[in-house]
Amino acid sequence: MATYSLANERLRALEDIEREIGAILQNAGSRYDDERGTVILELSKEKTNERLLDRQAAAFTASVQHVEAELSAQIRYLTQVATGQPHEGSSYSSRKDCQMALKRVDYARLKLSEVARTCEQMLEN
Amino acid sequence: MAQQRALPQSKETLLQSYNKRLKDDVKSIMDNFTEIIKTAKIEDETQVSRATQGEQDNYEMHVRAANIVRAGESLMKLVSDLKQFLILNDFPSVNEAIDQRRQQLRALREECDRKLVALRDEVSIDLYELEEEYYSSSSSLCEANDLPLCEAYWRLDPDTDSADCPSAPLLASPEPSAGGPLQAAAPAHSHTSGPGPTEHT
Repeated sequence: MATYSLANERLRALEDIEREIGAILQNAGSRYDDERGTVILELSKEKTNERLLDRQAAAFTASVQHVEAELSAQIRYLTQVATGQPHEGSSYSSRKDCQMALKRVDYARLKLSEVARTCEQMLEN
Repeated sequence: MAQQRALPQSKETLLQSYNKRLKDDVKSIMDNFTEIIKTAKIEDETQVSRATQGEQDNYEMHVRAANIVRAGESLMKLVSDLKQFLILNDFPSVNEAIDQRRQQLRALREECDRKLVALRDEVSIDLYELEEEYYSSSSSLCEANDLPLCEAYWRLDPDTDSADCPSAPLLASPEPSAGGPLQAAAPAHSHTSGPGPTEHT
């Protein structure tokens, strides 16, 4: 549901960080969309491409620093908003009102079905 | 920047531990990665034979790679803990989520009530016409006794229980302007209506 934007925005950011950490581990230095291999794989070759190696190592470092910056920002935000107290808000009253409204609708539907059945019986007779 | 508020010791300690874990894991990843790249350098002069040096480097790279993986998994656990902490303690988000939920439920309730009111208006019009038809028809004229409306209806069907007054469709307070000889009995009918005392609330 797109309505909980503020609540989901930070959670989405944390999920993106998780994916980035997985990409860092999987590719060990190369970008996830780079099909030219990892840094370690490049090092293991007989003739290494130094420029490619430098580029991939720089990308790896940038990814790790980006993850660190994002997580630091999240922790800083939590330090500002956390109160240490439990949240006591609730939507129970609205939910109960809505349930009662749905009950009223069901009751009206039940009564109308009885009326319809009675009319049909009358017509058959 | 806002001044640091006095958090409870547990929350403060927890957030500091998150910071420490983050710094340690990132440092572990970077250091082990750097050392792997340094170890990949082949030296001409070694203290042991080349085979031995190769085996040692191989083992060292395995250990450092495992350290990188462990640090990565620790970071994933940290992100999971941060998500949990965020859900429980990010009050602005929680407040907004609660407000939005309340608005949705309120809108649904109002729509249900609006439709019920419209339905009531339509049914009352049809009910008026049915009463008009009933009170002006011959079936209501033929009764010698002052029968309740429900009992008069159930007389048509001898198999049904005539003692009860079920939810008959013609049960409502009749219009005073409706014609018919049973006009005096009509007010008595309205109080013997069916099983729905809360119908017209």
